[in-house]
Amino acid sequence: MTTVPQPAAPRQDSGGGGPTINQSLAFRIAVLAGIVLVALAILLVRLWFLQVVGGEQYEQRAEVNRLREVVTEAQRGTITDRNGVVLVGNVPATNVVARPRELVGARRDEVLGRLARRLHIPLKDLQTKVEGGENTPFQSVVLAENVDPRTALYLSERRRQFPGIGLRETFLRDYPQGRVAAHVLGSLGPIPAERADAYEDQGYTGAERVGIGGIEGSYEEWLRGTPGRVEVEVDATGELVGRGVVASEAPVAGNDVELTIDFKAQTALELALRTQVARHGFSTGAAGVALDPRNGEVLAIASVPDFDPATFSDGTPREVQALLADERRPLLNRVVDGQYPAGSTFKPITAAAALDGDFVEADEPVDSPPEIELYDQIFPNFERVSHGPVTMPVALQVSSDTYFYRLGAKFFETGARQPLQDMARTFGFGRKTGIDLPGEAKGLLPTVRWKKRAFKDSPFQLDRVWKPGDSINLSVGQGNLLVTPLQMAVSYAGVATGKVPTPALGRRVVDRSGEALRSFAGVQSARPVAASAAALETIREGLRLAANEHGGTSASVFSSVPGQFTVAGKTGTAEQLGGEDHSWYVGYAPADNPRVVVAVIIERGGTGASAAAPAVCEGIAAALRYDASNCGSGAQSN
Amino acid sequence: MAAITALSLYVIDASTAEDVAGRPNFFFDRQALYVAGGVILAIGAMALDLRRLATWAWALWGGLLGALVVVFVVGGAVRGTSRWIEIGSFNLQPSEFGKIVLMIVLAALLVERLDRVGTPRLSLFMLGVAGVPALVVFLQPDLGTAMVYMIILAAILFVGGTPWTHFAAAGAAIAAVAITLLFVLPSQNVDVLQPYQVERLTAFATADRDASDAGYQLDQSTTAVGSGGALGKGPDGATQSINDFLPEHHTDFVFAVTAEMFGFVGGAALILLYAVVVWRGVRIAARAATMFEVLVASAIVAMLAFQASVNIGMTVGLMPITGLPLPLMSFGGSHTLATFAALGLLMGIYMRRRPGTPLS
Repeated sequence: MTTVPQPAAPRQDSGGGGPTINQSLAFRIAVLAGIVLVALAILLVRLWFLQVVGGEQYEQRAEVNRLREVVTEAQRGTITDRNGVVLVGNVPATNVVARPRELVGARRDEVLGRLARRLHIPLKDLQTKVEGGENTPFQSVVLAENVDPRTALYLSERRRQFPGIGLRETFLRDYPQGRVAAHVLGSLGPIPAERADAYEDQGYTGAERVGIGGIEGSYEEWLRGTPGRVEVEVDATGELVGRGVVASEAPVAGNDVELTIDFKAQTALELALRTQVARHGFSTGAAGVALDPRNGEVLAIASVPDFDPATFSDGTPREVQALLADERRPLLNRVVDGQYPAGSTFKPITAAAALDGDFVEADEPVDSPPEIELYDQIFPNFERVSHGPVTMPVALQVSSDTYFYRLGAKFFETGARQPLQDMARTFGFGRKTGIDLPGEAKGLLPTVRWKKRAFKDSPFQLDRVWKPGDSINLSVGQGNLLVTPLQMAVSYAGVATGKVPTPALGRRVVDRSGEALRSFAGVQSARPVAASAAALETIREGLRLAANEHGGTSASVFSSVPGQFTVAGKTGTAEQLGGEDHSWYVGYAPADNPRVVVAVIIERGGTGASAAAPAVCEGIAAALRYDASNCGSGAQSN
Repeated sequence: MAAITALSLYVIDASTAEDVAGRPNFFFDRQALYVAGGVILAIGAMALDLRRLATWAWALWGGLLGALVVVFVVGGAVRGTSRWIEIGSFNLQPSEFGKIVLMIVLAALLVERLDRVGTPRLSLFMLGVAGVPALVVFLQPDLGTAMVYMIILAAILFVGGTPWTHFAAAGAAIAAVAITLLFVLPSQNVDVLQPYQVERLTAFATADRDASDAGYQLDQSTTAVGSGGALGKGPDGATQSINDFLPEHHTDFVFAVTAEMFGFVGGAALILLYAVVVWRGVRIAARAATMFEVLVASAIVAMLAFQASVNIGMTVGLMPITGLPLPLMSFGGSHTLATFAALGLLMGIYMRRRPGTPLS
């Protein structure tokens, strides 16, 4: 210690100096003090700006941290058949959601990486979803839907390992009847980007899943509920804090939609179609619809091949992709979107145009030879049979082609007038029926003008000209004519009642207490057809004979049906390039007081009587509740 | 001093009531124990004649280095770092006490060579003496404490009379090294600093809402401070702290908690209390009986002021996040004991001051 020199004694005033004071030392101590005090002063100023000047802004930030809006999803309404059989219900499920604002920087990839391993979802997918939610940082983004309970429990117990990730209770669509009516139900999906604004105007936040297609889409405004909102206080991990709920608003469940569908008729028709498709090896599909001709209520609507609607609710993306890519087109609702040549089922329309245009008398016998020559062209009967002289009802009964070819030639001779097309239009051909399903096909009713337009790019002038063959083919439902099965059913409702109804699937909207909020029965309009009552009477007689009397094309199927349910109907064997004929049948019953009309097509099913007619018989039987074992299996006839 | 300590105990109690389930006073009880230990240590330090220790400078230096190295061997790993030695249930952090040992060593060595002060050779020699333990601490890795070591060195050299040019040269060298470590080398994928250290050190320089984890801490801290407003939200309304948005609220970010609870009034009062402590420390240094004690007292003042400024600066977004505790406020055993020991030394220096120089 002896080497330690004693410093000169500074005076009381550290900044000053004196004879024994090392002035430099005192100065340096003062500088040290000065630096420190300046640093503290800077902190003081910063504190002033943060707290006094910027206080409010930061207080809001703290509130945003503290308060979280928890959206409780409302239960969507159910969809039932006309007797309350639930076709679409709900099951509770758990979604994994992310709050993008809490997933920033290195933390995001770290947490999402952990989550990706647990959920078996590629990290990239999760990142894309979170990035997609950055525009609305205070809203949760759904990362995974319907996670299994074990995963949900795992995540709920490890909130601290998964900051910014949460679980949200939700509902999934449930299909207690499996595939029944799958084609009309529709599904739920995210709001399509191109319609985001329209939904926003109706009070959607943009994150909801909404009805896409089918009844889900058409009746979205009734089915959707009002989500509940609860504002709660949370800590940094998203856990509720003791003080809990700050404000709340309970969710309101959506209303139930009751369909016109009759579950029994629906399942019977579906089974009948599947059976016929299976029986005919070349068949690529089938469609059938049953409706009440008096008001257009659809009792059954079936399309084959079908699909499991739950695939869109809880299926994997792979399963959905497989359905979309399936070449048999199971997602296509062939009843409203399938367009086919009509074949002989179109003859009643030809008959109406001919009778009311005085091209033929109802009871005027006309020869039906195996073939006739018209405009230097041979037109044969089906299987070149000869029926001898036939009146209009008998021509329908035996489905004479040569009888109707002659009428077609007469229509052509009228020149600019197109009596058949004018008549067909009033029966609903060439335009949408107006059913409450999105994306209905119009079909095609060929006219002189249409032909000119459709072939305007053809190098051959002849292609644009309406030729005799066009009129002749149209008279037997061939040529360019395209119809949907629903159009066929609606047109026969016109035959049966004189009016073409607007078909409808929605019957009533019922609230949770069972009270009807709105009934659609009788709301839909019906348009009268142009055919006279006398003409309709003649046609009905022909259809009754066809289904019941010896020689009738479908008598083998319907002649044993009990008297009070007598069926009237017409077969069709529609020729289409590229394979077997399509098998058509359209009929209604009871013949004297029709309560149901059924149209069925079995694609590539052969003749009308062999495939479609038995299916129609089973559909009618189920709708009218008589024993389907009375239905015959059908014979080879057009 | 007593006021700061009392405030510290209150804030720690209020902000950690729910951190350990079922034991609302968990952190309070422990900190109270540390303070009690600290007071005893301080009284002991007051009685200690520092000048005797000066003869053992090299031995102390060796002991310090040894203790720091031991940490690597037996120290437990806490959050990717190894700073602690477990003794019973208490985790001793030698680098905290190392601050005090280092300042005694440096002061003693400088005083022995007072005639050569100002030569580059001496300055480099001192840099070596302080640099070796600082390097070990840095490797633990504990960048904050390593920086404190260098500040202690700087204070002792400066007060000892080293010319400005040396500091200017050192400052330039530090700037060059910092730029190399933080920006140049990472861009070449050479990582000398831990990635978290780079992130922490650079986060404050970027935008308010930085997209990193350190940015998150910074964001939550300034939100906590700012939302306190002029008068504060009170101990029950301080949601940033109580609801855990603010990390490490009883240790590194304790100032943010104080500012959230008591607003500008509370935060400013605390800063002024530090100013008072610093002022008294400076006066003690000016009245110390020996040059050796002047240097030690200056180093203590510099150490406390540096830690306080950097810590508070960090919570208000002016300084990088370095993990330095706030003297007398932050929860923590080693650092509380070390701080009290340093203050004890300071009071001892005052008691042995030159006759006829009252403090005020």
